[in-house]
Amino acid sequence: MSLIVGVDIGSRGTKIALVDRSGGLRGWHLARTRPPFEDLVENTLAAALAEIGADRSDVEHIITTGFGRSSYPGRDTQVTDISAAAFGAAAIFPNTRCVIDVGAQSSRAVHIDGGGRVKEFKSNDKCAAGAGGFVERAARYLEITLDDVGTLSLAGREPVTISSVCAVLAESEIINHVSQGCSVENILRGVHNSLAERAAALLKRVGIEEEITLVGGMARQRGMVQALVEMLKLPVNIPEVPETVNALGAALLAKRRLERAAA
Amino acid sequence: MAIQSTVSFEELIEECNDAIATIDFADAQAWKNEGHTQALIGCFPVYTPVELFHAAGALPVGLTGAGNKIEISHADSRFQSFICSIIKSTLELAMIGNLDAFDGFVFHSICDPARNLASVFARTMNTKQVEYIHFPQRIPSYEAVVYLEAEYRRILAWACTLTGRSVTDEDLRRSIALYDAVRSAIGLLYDVRRNEPHKLSTLELYALVRYGHVAPPEKHLRILEHALEYVRARGGTPKDRARVVVVGSFCEQPPMDLIASIEQAGCYVVDDDFLLGRRFFTGGIADTGNPLYDLADAYVHGSVDSSVKHDLGHSKALSLVQRARDHRADAVVVLTAKFCEPALFDYVLYRKALQEAHMPHVFLEFEEKMWLFDKIKTELETFVESLLFS
Repeated sequence: MSLIVGVDIGSRGTKIALVDRSGGLRGWHLARTRPPFEDLVENTLAAALAEIGADRSDVEHIITTGFGRSSYPGRDTQVTDISAAAFGAAAIFPNTRCVIDVGAQSSRAVHIDGGGRVKEFKSNDKCAAGAGGFVERAARYLEITLDDVGTLSLAGREPVTISSVCAVLAESEIINHVSQGCSVENILRGVHNSLAERAAALLKRVGIEEEITLVGGMARQRGMVQALVEMLKLPVNIPEVPETVNALGAALLAKRRLERAAA
Repeated sequence: MAIQSTVSFEELIEECNDAIATIDFADAQAWKNEGHTQALIGCFPVYTPVELFHAAGALPVGLTGAGNKIEISHADSRFQSFICSIIKSTLELAMIGNLDAFDGFVFHSICDPARNLASVFARTMNTKQVEYIHFPQRIPSYEAVVYLEAEYRRILAWACTLTGRSVTDEDLRRSIALYDAVRSAIGLLYDVRRNEPHKLSTLELYALVRYGHVAPPEKHLRILEHALEYVRARGGTPKDRARVVVVGSFCEQPPMDLIASIEQAGCYVVDDDFLLGRRFFTGGIADTGNPLYDLADAYVHGSVDSSVKHDLGHSKALSLVQRARDHRADAVVVLTAKFCEPALFDYVLYRKALQEAHMPHVFLEFEEKMWLFDKIKTELETFVESLLFS
């Protein structure tokens, strides 16, 4: 078996996608990002390979992406998470023209062409207020698990307004809402609305065009998806395993590069 | 021709980097203290007719702000938060005493903040001479050259009061010839970048050119000529990189780490407008017998495109497209300082022209005080990937 490995070293999670030479996704694995990155990638890769009955000798090429893409010395190539998200989303939903990638610490909006090539992109600034890390902080303060956030948020009928552009100040706003007796559901829906608003603003800057695909772990939160759909007034594609789209995109980009080099 | 110096190219670049890294202008002060020059004149970007000051016996020193080497703690009281960094950091240098050795300063009509900076400098540094060059705003007019010649005559007289010397036409011709030789050497180094970019990194070229901001032109010319010999003798083969033209950094300078990031992201910068005033002319300056007129004529009829020079009969945007094509560029990187109005106004025109010409481009903003480059580097890498993977 000849496998191309896409490794997405994100600020919170490390994701691995195993792709064969026909471009089929053979397996994937997720792990919490923790240094040292070399051990992290080797262990996560070993787990992913073991799940499909393969071993290290089956690995033909390793491509990295994400914020830690330069940190794994065993990589053959690397690609940015923006290119990887674009290519991965286009591979899953071929009619995708806009991709929103909401990661733990940053968000990106990408306008792509039919082949998954990036035409224009914008990313948020360093602040986590527009990214998944903000939801984690909110969940921690509200003492609920991250898995429950999406469902609880969907039940929010009178979402609160969270206007701060800084995650720390936004957390203070949440504390104020709690002290005023707002329900957890309405606060969480306010958090998702705030994130969706920022994502939509990024998307507008690159030009909104259907179809739109949301990737990254935040796509698992139904409240976030609903907030985005309402904000954009357009349907949004959600991949089956949204966390692994960038790793998949990186692997498919590497596959195409290898094919071109061989041609 | 064999290289006479025992100094290696790396040592040459290190010397340049050391000189441009300091914000106390110690070398210029030493040059003055040793009696090589009668006065130090600080020249704000973009372009200054430095030949006038050199002929008058002064050393023109380029002011390019302070990068990320100082905290702005005084200049904020004079300028608002939406003003570009170079304005405030240059004023901060003056307010903390780093420009005390200077005898005069020159500003220009490049933008509103620069114009205001001249006035603030005059009040803040009230023991120093501050002058302001009004460049012609109607370039196509015949009177533009005549007007600018008169303006240069006024500025020359001012410089002579600082140095206590009188200047002959022959003095001016010598200075013009010297700076022409400097510009020519810089042009040849840029030719290397265009034709064999693997032989000279953008950062090396930048250091070599910027050295002229703080060094006497005679010394700068020697360094450039040595560098040219070294670079031409260098080997290596070009890598699979995107050839890009970088525009928008003609005044405030990007941090050097950011310049390095452009190449690390997979680009060859085959042309740029960093330190544009150092290579402001498209050719040599003519000698018609009136050096002040010749210098003025070169500004009006023989200078490069710039966001701070207005010629309504000429499209800078279309020229940028042509320039990119002439340099066989794959793309254009528009790299502007935050709050730089001339660059941001021009970007609107550039964007339209580049899109119509199907020339890919990316727009990025910087501040001279920035020290984290991850985001901008990722954006550049993505842009390069979109070029190379297509």
